[in-house]
Amino acid sequence: MKEEEEMVTPGEVLGKGTEVKAGKGAYLSPHNNTVYAALTGRRSVAPPSPESPDQRPTVEVIGHKAHGPVPEPGCVVIARVTKVMARMASADIMCVGSKSVREKFSGVIRQQDVRATEIDKVDMHSSFRPGDIVKASVISLGDARAYYLSTAQNELGVVSAESMAGGTMVPVSWTEMQCPLTGQIEQRKVAKVGA
Amino acid sequence: MEYVSPEGLRLDGRRPMEMRQLRAELGAVSRADGSAVFEMGNTKVIAAVYGPREVQNRSQQINDKALIRCEYTMANFSTGDRMRKPKGDRRSTEISLVIRQTMEACIMTHLMPRSQIDIFVQVLQADGGTRSACINAATLALADAGIPMCDLVTSCSAGYLNSTPLLDLNYVEDSARGPDVTVGILPKLDKVTLLQMDAKLPMDIFENVMQLATEGCKAVANYIREVLLENTKQLENRRGV
Repeated sequence: MKEEEEMVTPGEVLGKGTEVKAGKGAYLSPHNNTVYAALTGRRSVAPPSPESPDQRPTVEVIGHKAHGPVPEPGCVVIARVTKVMARMASADIMCVGSKSVREKFSGVIRQQDVRATEIDKVDMHSSFRPGDIVKASVISLGDARAYYLSTAQNELGVVSAESMAGGTMVPVSWTEMQCPLTGQIEQRKVAKVGA
Repeated sequence: MEYVSPEGLRLDGRRPMEMRQLRAELGAVSRADGSAVFEMGNTKVIAAVYGPREVQNRSQQINDKALIRCEYTMANFSTGDRMRKPKGDRRSTEISLVIRQTMEACIMTHLMPRSQIDIFVQVLQADGGTRSACINAATLALADAGIPMCDLVTSCSAGYLNSTPLLDLNYVEDSARGPDVTVGILPKLDKVTLLQMDAKLPMDIFENVMQLATEGCKAVANYIREVLLENTKQLENRRGV
């Protein structure tokens, strides 16, 4: 794939705009039509795909710092419920896919996004409790405050929850979890884990 | 007072066009996303960069580019006589603003909309030219954080004492109250992002002094590039690429 590799620092010339395309970590300066590096790292040149109309190779700079994962629409996240209100529950996102996030992202699960059926009859308080660990998918970037999350799939919902007595509850059905210490049954929107 | 001896030597033994020794180290603050220590002779500055991260104060959020914030502080042990109230004075507010504007000119803010980048610089030892040292340290820290920049900004100062242009003034020369020109440039793009002078100079002399400072910036840029490349190579070796 890669033709040649060498280290570059920001501001170094990578090629002419007519000969190469700027990929990640590189930019095209419009006033002299030259491609410069924007990061410190290795330069790599990838040939264009054979069917694309633009036959210039793409030049990229691969930096050494990995940034933390950021939730994006469609991905599955693990979140901890912080507050349950009548029409929505707010949660802090802890993992995106299998990676833990570096900074705080907040999400909300609205009443209509808790389950797929009878969405207007959902009682938030019998779906989540503060402290529950929830598996959810990101619907959209949401408003300025929080990502919109959804648990409207069988595999999504509460994956781990503590009972009133303080024990980690065991799922009984898709709406109930039972405490192993007291045998008390609590209502949750339970995720179907495994199988 | 005589700042350049008849033999052509300055008070600290340098030639008029000689810079102080440079030293730089990356990754000085482990919690930060990027950090650097930068020394110009006895001036020593530490910089830390956090971000790009979510904007803390929503009302400051900019929808099409990143918000850059910068805070400059001087440690109270940094000067000869211990400082009493170091925070929030006029001088540091002004330098914070200068550093922020200089860094904003090189960071590609449009790539990171609705996010914020914090730059913290602290002077550990002050011996003249803290402004330039802070900008150089901030550049290194930004490069260490992997934040896209159109070029590395570098800065250097130059003065004019005893009818001689002097490169990279130290504290004693700075206190002579002569003209002090601080220049910040984008070396590969050949653009000026910062130019400050708090005195009057005839045009032709000013041009010479500025030319000298620009040459200094280029020397700093070469050094910074070397440090960055060396650091990247070390990281790769450790990773075993």
